[in-house]
Amino acid sequence: MDANSIIASLSDKFPDEIYDTDIESNIRIVAKVKPENVVDVCRYLKDELSFGHLCCEFAADYPDRNGIEVIYVIGSYDHPVILTMKALLPRDKPEIESVVPVYWNANWYERETYDLFGVKYLNHPNLKPFIIPAEMIGEWPLRKDYKGFPNRTANNLV
Amino acid sequence: MEETVGPSEMIVHLGPQHPMLPGPFRVNAKLRGETIVDSEVEIGYIHKGIEKILENKTYLQGITIVDRICYLEALTNEEAYVGCVEKLAGIEVPERAQYIRVIMEELSRIQSHILGMGEYASFIGFVSMFMYTIRDREDLMSVIDSVTGARITHSFLRFGGVKDDLPDGFKDDVKYVFGNLKKAIDQYEVLFSSDSIYKARTVGIGTLTADVAKDLGVSGPPLRATGVAFDIRRDEPYLVYNDLDFKVCTQKDGDVYARIQVRLDEMRESMYIVEQCLDQIPSGPLFPEGTAYGKRSPVMRIPAGEVFHRVEAPRGEMGFYMISDGSDKPYRVKIRGPVYPTLQALPPLLKGVTVADIVAIAGSMDTCTSEVDR
Amino acid sequence: MQLDDIIYNPLLRGILGLCLMGAIFLGAMGAVWFERKLAGDIQQRLGPARAGPYGLLQLVADAIKLFTKEDIIPKNADRLLFISAPILMMGSVFLMLVAIPFGAIIIDGVTYPIAATDMDISILYIEAVSAISVIGIFMAAYSSNNKFSLLGAFRNFARMIGYEVPLGICIVSVAIMAGSLNIIEIAQAQSPLWFIIKQPLGFIVFFIAIMADMGRLPFDQNESEEELIAGWITEYTGMRFGLGFFAEYIHLILGSMLIVLLFLGGWNLPAALTANTILGIILPTAFYLGKVILVILTIIMIRWAVPRYRIDQVVDLSWKRLLPLALLNLGWVIALGLLGV
Repeated sequence: MDANSIIASLSDKFPDEIYDTDIESNIRIVAKVKPENVVDVCRYLKDELSFGHLCCEFAADYPDRNGIEVIYVIGSYDHPVILTMKALLPRDKPEIESVVPVYWNANWYERETYDLFGVKYLNHPNLKPFIIPAEMIGEWPLRKDYKGFPNRTANNLV
Repeated sequence: MEETVGPSEMIVHLGPQHPMLPGPFRVNAKLRGETIVDSEVEIGYIHKGIEKILENKTYLQGITIVDRICYLEALTNEEAYVGCVEKLAGIEVPERAQYIRVIMEELSRIQSHILGMGEYASFIGFVSMFMYTIRDREDLMSVIDSVTGARITHSFLRFGGVKDDLPDGFKDDVKYVFGNLKKAIDQYEVLFSSDSIYKARTVGIGTLTADVAKDLGVSGPPLRATGVAFDIRRDEPYLVYNDLDFKVCTQKDGDVYARIQVRLDEMRESMYIVEQCLDQIPSGPLFPEGTAYGKRSPVMRIPAGEVFHRVEAPRGEMGFYMISDGSDKPYRVKIRGPVYPTLQALPPLLKGVTVADIVAIAGSMDTCTSEVDR
Repeated sequence: MQLDDIIYNPLLRGILGLCLMGAIFLGAMGAVWFERKLAGDIQQRLGPARAGPYGLLQLVADAIKLFTKEDIIPKNADRLLFISAPILMMGSVFLMLVAIPFGAIIIDGVTYPIAATDMDISILYIEAVSAISVIGIFMAAYSSNNKFSLLGAFRNFARMIGYEVPLGICIVSVAIMAGSLNIIEIAQAQSPLWFIIKQPLGFIVFFIAIMADMGRLPFDQNESEEELIAGWITEYTGMRFGLGFFAEYIHLILGSMLIVLLFLGGWNLPAALTANTILGIILPTAFYLGKVILVILTIIMIRWAVPRYRIDQVVDLSWKRLLPLALLNLGWVIALGLLGV
């Protein structure tokens, strides 16, 4: 199971959904995926290619490309290859399907991304405010255009 | 977890302020009598926004901030961050600096495991054990202090090397401290295995099987206690771990007793690694020759790119994903702490146990809330 | 006026009772100091060391601090029960104190025990009265309006009900061997041989059961810090907390006295040593108190050396292990009695 065979197998099974693949070294591969097919690709990765360990899942804000990119870093317990999957979402309506049915520990990662970026995960079992206070939901602190809270310092607590 | 209660149930909040909780998180538990029917974990009480802070500081200023993600394993945090930058910029670390890094990280692992064990013992009422581990840890902290200059948040690593060389007499200090430490670890093992009350509290509690553990995403000693030999120092070696001889410690049962046993074994392996390094360490420069690194702190512009670097922290798999856009500040840094999935796996483990075991199971997973919240 | 008239005069007995109450308060303060110093020694650190020489005045400092704290009663707490619970606990230990002898004076071969009363059924009375503290603890926990205290109270009930039964059976076997329920006569009956030699199994069962009765580690689930914050005493501040705290240590001292009186020979000495009047006044009491201090030392050391059981393991231990052993011991004593030993 080395990098080349994994890329070949992925491209064969999902010719339209996976694009822009890149092999950076023999243990790191990158691929881009269309947001609608994320769950199917993950299921194939977990069942067939033994990628059973979701390292992390997060988002990055690209205002110049007018999008928010959701990044999945998936590893494995059996072979040392790590696959980085990226899905670009439109910035004014970032919604994507949740991968919790495939990877159980994606639960908290997705809640945190929703809190900090505003990415809405469809069919998530429990999308409640998580690490930021419930009053701050809607401000999406980690986006690049977050201005901080200039009027809410310790002197005038609003 | 549902908020409605049945006829003989009540909801108890083991809140963020509690004398003996391993870190400020909150467990809402629905009890029927003394057994837990359902539970839920809430975090976010010490969210500091480290990821956002790192986007506004230069790379060099980021080293001191990354230290403070989890102050007990500061050196491994720095290693993950510095490793990312070195991969992006293509910096090659000289051999002597790599050996020094391995020595300091293994010493850091020993002191983190000792404290984790002691803290767990104090959660089940074994207060004297906690005091013994603290006493034995003091000598180790003095040794670390003599090299890095600080006891917890070290800021010792730099891009391309380490800040200072090992002082004179380091090898004799380490030999003396390890002599005492080996006797102490043997004593702990005897104390643990010969105490029937301790065994009644730990054997068969909080059991994980290998498949469930892999499904839930735990890593580190809790995973190795179920029999899966997954260790990043062996699977994806970084620094000089390829040249060192050590074994990956596993146990088969997966309960709390096995996790403590794995930590005891790992301490012994770490001591063996440090002794090998002290024998094999070559002399040489601390920073790459002919570069500006190490002389004056330059304002570094790292070439654009993305990289994911992971190391074996004492608590599990620690990873940094760094996106750089060519300027002197990172564009996005994502910190993947080892305890985040482990704490998430707590509610399934707590079904059907009594209240007295919540803190015991959470303590045996060695949670450090500071890095869960970041 | 005979010596008997002086010693059995009710008024003087009442004054003696008050003196004993004062003495046991000082004894409890000494026991707390002893425990903290000993814990420091086991854990390789100093205990209290700054308030007075060797930290002896630490308890005085703590008592002053407790007196000057604000008295907080939670808003939804049941006021009457909340206020009367520590009083009930103190009352229960003082009722126990009334019947336990603190020493003896031997003049011309006649023993005069230093006790506030001399009842025929004193050991039965002591065990009955020590169970009142259970109600006190439950009152405190129930009226605090706090879920953690309530959990502590449930555990307390389970523990006490489980351990009163082996305790009672051991006391019955001692009473059979001595032939009386009067604790002073039981102590006297150990003249040549202590009861620990005649029924060692009974001693072991009684020791474990009374440690559980007193609520010492490894049996202190009702106030374990890990999950219940402080158990039944969470909501108490100031001197109310002090009353509950001291009641526990007075119970420790009285429990150790019970162990010495029932199994370790009381104040009995060979007759040759008490022939002299001066020695007869000092020596039996000193010997008895020395043994009590040794027993307290053992109980304190056990506390700091072992972890804590879970509540279902505690109940398991009492009903499945201690109860059969206690019944076995009873059978052994009856057999010894039938054989005429």
